[in-house]
Amino acid sequence: MATQRPPRVMDPYAERFWEFTGQRELRLQRCTECDRFRWPPGPICDSCLSEDYDWSEVSGRGTLLTWVTYRRPYFPEYPAPHTVIMVELDEGPLFVTQPHELETGGLRDGLAMELDWLDGEDQYGEYQLPVFRPAG
Amino acid sequence: MAAQADLDRLWPLKDVAAIVGVGETDYAADYRTARGEATATGSGGGDSYVLAARAFRRALDDAGLEKGDIDGLCVGGPLAHERIAELLGLNPRWSSGGDAPRSVIDAVQAIQAGLCTTVACVYGNAQRSANVQYGGPQAMGGGGILSYVYYAPWGLTSQGALYALMFKRHQLVYGTTEEQLAAIPVALRKHATLNPNAIMRERPMTTEDYLNARYIVEPLRLFDYCLVNDGGVALIVQRADLARERRHEPVLVSGFGWSELSVDATQLRPRIKDFYFPAHHDVVAQVYPMAGVTQDDIDVYATYDSFSVHLLFTLEGFGFCGEGESGAFIQDGRIEVGGELPCNTSGGMLSESYMQSWNQQVELVRQLRGGLGDRQVEGAEVAQYAHDVAGKCMSLIYTKGG
Ligand SMILES: [Zn+2]
Repeated sequence: MATQRPPRVMDPYAERFWEFTGQRELRLQRCTECDRFRWPPGPICDSCLSEDYDWSEVSGRGTLLTWVTYRRPYFPEYPAPHTVIMVELDEGPLFVTQPHELETGGLRDGLAMELDWLDGEDQYGEYQLPVFRPAG
Repeated sequence: MAAQADLDRLWPLKDVAAIVGVGETDYAADYRTARGEATATGSGGGDSYVLAARAFRRALDDAGLEKGDIDGLCVGGPLAHERIAELLGLNPRWSSGGDAPRSVIDAVQAIQAGLCTTVACVYGNAQRSANVQYGGPQAMGGGGILSYVYYAPWGLTSQGALYALMFKRHQLVYGTTEEQLAAIPVALRKHATLNPNAIMRERPMTTEDYLNARYIVEPLRLFDYCLVNDGGVALIVQRADLARERRHEPVLVSGFGWSELSVDATQLRPRIKDFYFPAHHDVVAQVYPMAGVTQDDIDVYATYDSFSVHLLFTLEGFGFCGEGESGAFIQDGRIEVGGELPCNTSGGMLSESYMQSWNQQVELVRQLRGGLGDRQVEGAEVAQYAHDVAGKCMSLIYTKGG
């Protein structure tokens, strides 16, 4: 059984995003008129208002920008302490995620990070959760 | 968006209207009696409508006005617009709504336009009785495209976490420390002990007390978080020439500014990459020229303080100190009553009452009226409120009328 996690926010765009993660592919929408990546997934390009896009696989590389450690538990699935980080993807978007194979003492501003995957499950089914570890 | 606001058109709105009446509920007394029972439709302390109505009645009395004098209405908090108007027995000629600074700014514009003369701005929120959750599985806004909801699968929840991420970034970029941050909750608590209506008035706090308190979302601790309590606030905004007839000396709305930074909000880009500074700077270019003052003229200052760190970001963004310098700036009593720039002198939302900045407006009015005893800022003539919440940055400058 996959790891239970707090529920995803689902809409038709998010559904597609999470389908790709099932194959361990991190794909974000990229506007086919102006090439801008967007995240979270949604209906229009905020730059040129085009509704046309493709699901473009990103490099899975980025740098660590900031982090926090929950000392108070909020979700039964995440007992404290647990850490949440923000990675600036090489493609531009800022990505809230979890550190993987990285102790809190090893967190550094600008640390090079790369994509990894953990399993997950919620009321919508099983999926793969994109997480980040120090680049090898 | 135009490069900047048209100051030639903005400037004539200076001193068009004044705040002539303020009213609040009994925060401290109500806090002791509200125990989390959901009484959304009941009577007493746990009903947002009753709280708003109580504050409204007090504001009318404070102004020396009758209900029939009110011809405009602004509604804030969870109140349904039509219902509160019905309950207060008002048929306004003009109305608007939203948060506190927006309500005041809208009221001034409506008065200038001749749509109304005397606007009641009312807010009531029984959030403690209603057991409103700001994080976790039952967080308000659940299921929406909201930064404090969307990343739940990774474990992110609560607005406090957004401010913790911002403060951590501020620490990394500028070297700001948790020991420096302590000066904010400690100063605001000190102010609360000087305010008879502050919930924390009997709970003084030292730097050591602050640092010994538990982390909630590290690097933020318990006392970096605001209270959650029930209450109501009302402000009466009136055309300045009529305001001179009121019970108290009017407090003029002398300047305001507004700018938003919402692109990539769910990614948290305006917070983490910019600390909202571009929006602050845009507001600075409006509010000070409109009021005809500079930062040096501000006698008393208040900022939204759902979390202590708001104060760091607005002090830098509004130019009271340089970017990255707020950690040092707030030390040595500078932001306390008696210091160079007294901030959130009622105790703010950290230690007086979480009225989503409605109480900050009341406090600034009272400081300019004078007579607050130990918490009075001596000779206060110019007061500023700065707001940066969910992408909306606004500011108001109030000056002593008369
Ligand atoms: Zn585009």
